[in-house]
Amino acid sequence: MNLYLDLFLTFLKVNLLSTSGPASVGLLYNEAVGKFVTEGQFVQAVGFSSVLPGSDALQMAMYVGYAAGGIPGGLVALLGSILPPTILILGVVMVLHRIRREAWVQSFVEGLTPAISMVILFAAWKIFQKGGETGWQGWLIGAASLVALFLNAPARIVVLVAAVLGVFWFS
Amino acid sequence: MNQSSKFDVWWKLLWMFLKVNLLSPSGPASIGLLYKEAVGTIMSEERFVEAVGFSNVLPGSEALKLAMFVGYAAGGIPGVLTALLGAMLPPTVMMLVVAFVLQQFQHEEWLNGFVAGMSPAVAALMVTVAWELSRATKAKKITRRFLLIAALSAIALAFDVPSPLVLLGAGVLGVILYR
Repeated sequence: MNLYLDLFLTFLKVNLLSTSGPASVGLLYNEAVGKFVTEGQFVQAVGFSSVLPGSDALQMAMYVGYAAGGIPGGLVALLGSILPPTILILGVVMVLHRIRREAWVQSFVEGLTPAISMVILFAAWKIFQKGGETGWQGWLIGAASLVALFLNAPARIVVLVAAVLGVFWFS
Repeated sequence: MNQSSKFDVWWKLLWMFLKVNLLSPSGPASIGLLYKEAVGTIMSEERFVEAVGFSNVLPGSEALKLAMFVGYAAGGIPGVLTALLGAMLPPTVMMLVVAFVLQQFQHEEWLNGFVAGMSPAVAALMVTVAWELSRATKAKKITRRFLLIAALSAIALAFDVPSPLVLLGAGVLGVILYR
């Protein structure tokens, strides 16, 4: 398939099946790694999207699209990410103002949430195993990051500190 | 509304969303900042809460959905497009620059170390995202139905069922179980 069409459809799918940028990481991992980007590039996409301000979904789309197909690739991926919410919101505000009261939409999302969490956990494990070093330093960085994040340390600081540690330990 | 005040509204929207998206690290994190900027000036508290509710239910980037609701409340369809532009520009332009710069260093030894160090932290970040999502359900706690769907999804994923299928199945199961 044409690369640009493929990028567009992938981001269309990922953004139709997740309710926010961070929630789409697991699905995007499964759809993009090995096809558009390497494991390491994906880690950069997620890492920098949490370091830079603004929507994570758009940043990941921009990075993956750019890595796979240059600036046109980035724009196509962006378009795929923007279309589902835009069309749905326009539909909701103009036509279906009652959709939130439709019980099945709410139930669908309630059912989606545990599955999204699982997809993310599986992807997190793969990233940990393949993207990093699984020696004691890798486990230490992972465990320390987890503790820091649960203590509400800002994600961008945690990710940057871990990356700088990596430069000293792993290169 | 006359022509010039319309432009005022659009300009205000564009500036507001540029600011919110420059100052908040991610879509969900921008809700608090947006609340301070928009409630009282552009829309009522009630409409804002409704917008956040819709954003949780509909698919796609949270930041974009909120931007569009606020934009619509302030200036109709042109308001939607202005808010969208403001919300999109900061993250995408910055990421394009970062992607471009990183592409130049892709084979450097230090970048390998950088990524190897970042990976465990990114994995940890994803664990906390999964945790936050689990707690943000309507029930506000982890129920038996939640655990059932989570366990079934985990089994399906362990058997390499494609993740979009797992998500769709979980959604359908939700419609049955949460009725």
